[in-house]
Amino acid sequence: MHLPHSTLKQEFVKKWIMGLQRCKFSNKKMSIFERKKAIKLSADTAMASARKGLTCWSRALISNPDRPVPTTTRRASSACKKIVKRSRRIRRTAKCGAARKGQITRSIAQCLVRKRTQILKSLIPGGEFMNEVCLIEETLDYITSLRVQVDVMRSLASASARASEPHN
Amino acid sequence: MSSRRSRQSTAGVSRISDDQIIELVSKLQQLLPEIRDRRSDKVSASKVLQETCNYIRSLHREVDDLSERLSQLLATIDADSAEAAIIRSLIM
Repeated sequence: MHLPHSTLKQEFVKKWIMGLQRCKFSNKKMSIFERKKAIKLSADTAMASARKGLTCWSRALISNPDRPVPTTTRRASSACKKIVKRSRRIRRTAKCGAARKGQITRSIAQCLVRKRTQILKSLIPGGEFMNEVCLIEETLDYITSLRVQVDVMRSLASASARASEPHN
Repeated sequence: MSSRRSRQSTAGVSRISDDQIIELVSKLQQLLPEIRDRRSDKVSASKVLQETCNYIRSLHREVDDLSERLSQLLATIDADSAEAAIIRSLIM
């Protein structure tokens, strides 16, 4: 399931160019915002289709490309801070030995892991339906694919920047 | 904790071993630039998850910025250079 970087890159470039050609950028009436949306959509679709249906996130992304970016992060991180503050208060007032403190630390860690797993689920396309092992495997694949996407987009951007420079 | 939850959510799958999760988390550690460079052997699971979320968010932001930049650049590829001709023939 894990492809080498170069193969994935080639697949992505092939599919992205096909998608970009369909966007008809030669039409000058497109606004910058419309063009940006088209570029992003074609890049995401290309990234997902390069995986050829082998991963959950790619299938989820193709069927639902316009996912809203999750904004629950601030709430979740303030919830984590409250948990840590509460634990410090408990630890200060606890009169028991190390065993109880270990238990508290462990439950704080479990709570943090649970909260952060929820955040991760909201970031991966289709993540809400995955169990823990599936989530981590999908995350590994998703991060690899995102890196390829960023790599190729950066190369095109720098090539376009060079091409736009006045010819000396 | 994890085995109880996984038994509830996946009816057909047998118990997920802790070793599997540890192995996957260590693979995740290898991918994350922050943790990989720090070279500490034991990083907590919650830290790895936090760094993963931050990394994914930063990659999303970069894709967004690059899309914006490309949208401006591709609008103005009218120059005579060879590179412009190549890009135009590829994409437009």
